[in-house]
Amino acid sequence: MSIRCYLTERHIFTGPCIWIALSLIVLLLAGCGDHTVFTVDIKATNELQYDVVRFKVKPGAKVRINLHNVSDMSHNLLVTRPGSRLDVVNAALKLAEKGPELNYTPPLDAVLWSIPLVSPGQTKSATFTAPDKPGVYPYVCTYPGHGFVMYGAMYVTRENALPDISGDMNIPESRRNDREAGGSEQEHHQHQPEASPHPYALTPPYLYNAYLEGASPASVAVCLPGEISYCWDETACRLQFAWKGGFLDMSDLWKGHFNASAKILGDIFFRDNTDFPIRWGADAAVPEARYKGYRLVDRYPEFHYTLNGTDVYELIRPGKDSMGLIRSFRIPHAGQTVWFFTNREDDAIEYQASAGRWDGGKLKLSPAEARSFSITMTSLHWVFKKKKK
Amino acid sequence: MKPRSYSILLSLFFLSLFHCAAVGQKAAGEAYRVETVKMPQGLTAQTGGVDFMPDGRLVACFMRGEVMTYDLHTQAWKRFAEGLLLPLGILAVNDSAVLVMQLSGLTRIKDTDGDGQADLYENAASDFGMSGNYHEFAYGPVRDKSGNLFIALNTASSGDGIRSIVRGKINRRGRDGADGHAEMFSVVPYRGWVMELTPDGKLHPFASGFRSPNGLGFDPDGNLLVTDNQSDWVPTSALYHVREGRFYGHPASLVWRKGWEDRDPFNAPVEELNRIRTVAAVQFPQGIMANSPSQPLADVTKGKFGPFAGQLFVGEMNRDRIVRVMLEKVGGELQGACIPFIDGHGLRVGNNRLAFAPDGSLWVGQIGFGGWVGKSGIQKIVFTGKMPMDVYTMHLTRTGFELTFTQPVDPASAGDTANYKMRRYRYEYRKKDISEGIDVAPQVDVRDIPVTAVTLSGDHRKVSLTLGKLDPGYIYELKLGPISNPSGVPLANRLVCYTLNKLIP
Repeated sequence: MSIRCYLTERHIFTGPCIWIALSLIVLLLAGCGDHTVFTVDIKATNELQYDVVRFKVKPGAKVRINLHNVSDMSHNLLVTRPGSRLDVVNAALKLAEKGPELNYTPPLDAVLWSIPLVSPGQTKSATFTAPDKPGVYPYVCTYPGHGFVMYGAMYVTRENALPDISGDMNIPESRRNDREAGGSEQEHHQHQPEASPHPYALTPPYLYNAYLEGASPASVAVCLPGEISYCWDETACRLQFAWKGGFLDMSDLWKGHFNASAKILGDIFFRDNTDFPIRWGADAAVPEARYKGYRLVDRYPEFHYTLNGTDVYELIRPGKDSMGLIRSFRIPHAGQTVWFFTNREDDAIEYQASAGRWDGGKLKLSPAEARSFSITMTSLHWVFKKKKK
Repeated sequence: MKPRSYSILLSLFFLSLFHCAAVGQKAAGEAYRVETVKMPQGLTAQTGGVDFMPDGRLVACFMRGEVMTYDLHTQAWKRFAEGLLLPLGILAVNDSAVLVMQLSGLTRIKDTDGDGQADLYENAASDFGMSGNYHEFAYGPVRDKSGNLFIALNTASSGDGIRSIVRGKINRRGRDGADGHAEMFSVVPYRGWVMELTPDGKLHPFASGFRSPNGLGFDPDGNLLVTDNQSDWVPTSALYHVREGRFYGHPASLVWRKGWEDRDPFNAPVEELNRIRTVAAVQFPQGIMANSPSQPLADVTKGKFGPFAGQLFVGEMNRDRIVRVMLEKVGGELQGACIPFIDGHGLRVGNNRLAFAPDGSLWVGQIGFGGWVGKSGIQKIVFTGKMPMDVYTMHLTRTGFELTFTQPVDPASAGDTANYKMRRYRYEYRKKDISEGIDVAPQVDVRDIPVTAVTLSGDHRKVSLTLGKLDPGYIYELKLGPISNPSGVPLANRLVCYTLNKLIP
């Protein structure tokens, strides 16, 4: 009969910042005596990691490892002889057709104890007596592919302290350094804001096709000189909104996981609320838009789309002192009156046109005028803010 | 590619340790050598696509949106294009244009002013839906002999939702009910479909029933082949021979098929789904052959890459392996065998994209992204000129199988029935049990099949195996014993899995 009690001292290093390092649990039960079982609860996580990557036990101690699989994959846990982790991982891969039936556990002497495959949501355990010989005993998941990253170390020692975690070569490199959640994955990763996340410098104008809140999943975000940026929606074929300040935080999107979105790092000062800004003819009905792509002109994208089959080109530059946008349109073959609709009054934008006549909140252009015209949109919000300084 | 959670990636250091330890595993012997390509400084080399331009430059796309070219002679990398959304496929059109599959569409990217950098990004195809679910990846394109292009659209992950603004008309029947099943879904048009882009610029739904079809290719006869990844409704990863109008098994995509508009495909009778589906030409046993197969690529090097001309290579993401596939036509349908081609030898995990260089070397684009187990970068596999000792082909016969080897074999070992251990099993097509792990792939009807006779051909290159029992609908898994060539070189790979859908009529 064994009495369940906890580790007298449990060194746990937890991974990405969503886990706060668990504190030591000191709970000595009177009368545990030789029957004390050191119980270690280890979670297999969706990050392909064990949440506990190292712990220590005394030589000859009774140890119970509970493997809780909180991920959506199957995992096992093999405790190996010191220095044998890679041999065991390789031997598991070589099991070939025998792998599934053996729970990817190779029949090697180097495998001291094992917990078979645990399905998501389940828990399985192994209880054993720790070796008398002090040492670092690895534990590892040998499901194909996982052994490369998913492992930890059981320290069998009489010492009170474990080595400094930042230099602990017995745990995954990513867990020796917990500065940010998962961001330390790349070979070229730098912890400080990267000059460029690409193999070239980023100088505005430049753009990303990206998922952005408030626009179609098929959208282009363009960073202009002067800390001004805009979102052009490929599905709607229109400028959706513009912002001032920083450009985008792409880190969630580039992680490739749930709720992946590029985050806007500035203040939105314009959002197009019209049914559609460009319309044709007497009825000025909302046209059917088709996205055709863009051409880079001095690195500024000139978007190309068709409205009811007629080609429209739109290139957006920053306005004077970055107080807004200058939108240059080309409609080579309009063949009829062209209207440019602005938002209603609830908009601190001042509109100026290079051609045509304003008629209330809309600009009227002849087919000849529509061949090339520009709309300058100045944000009075930003203009007044600047004057106040 | 399974809808797996974000993983903390492997470090180069530990991989190199792994491979030091892996020496001694003589997969393809010295016939092939793995070399690592130096990537440009500052690139996160999560490789979504590789191809070669007619002038011999490599062109590759990466998940952060870069398209880069690499001159094999000067070893110089150069930016060609940028800003793309998680591109997972590239096709060189000519020396100044490529087609890239982004999440949002197929984009034709051209350098029109000859400065080596693209300036024109044309929308080649985007007539399909996007819910904004992170797993709606898009793959391809590949081009057939008539100039039609094919792409594949991943279903959405049950682990994630959809965005408040989507592209395409929503059909909520493409998502399973609230019963808690983790099933990939398709609530906007054509998720889970292979699409065809005809030269007139129109995008057509071509075939349905895919889950995570991260790999398209053609065999030398022009048959379109697509891989799919094991999990819900895909009981083990597979290679399909894709034909127009067919359904390949994952029900979500059926909501976009005629006659299914008002039906819940997830709860349609499995017998009905089974009846209308086309089975895989080749199945890759989970945990044995491949867990996340990627792009299939036919060896069209005419011998430059060794003896396997006409066969297919398929990348495997989960381990340090490239798989080889041997197809044959039986009863009018393609079926065949898979065998490891190379294991280890410095090859990394995350083998996502393949392309043959003009010199016949096989370039492998690797990716570690999201929840995919992998290392990022590009390696190449070079044929050294030394003939590998391997199984060359595996053909079904009326009484068993015929194996041809790349070299004559030692008659004593090759003629011994004890050196042929055969078993058969199958993976059941069904709705996954609610509590079953997404990567659990139970083998059913597992049975040892005695090899009752072995006949060696006069030139010692072929053996005919007679089996005690031969039935369609099973994977026949052959474990070869220590068979070697006359000078004692053993077989490089000893496990072959033949998907027996049809017997010889």
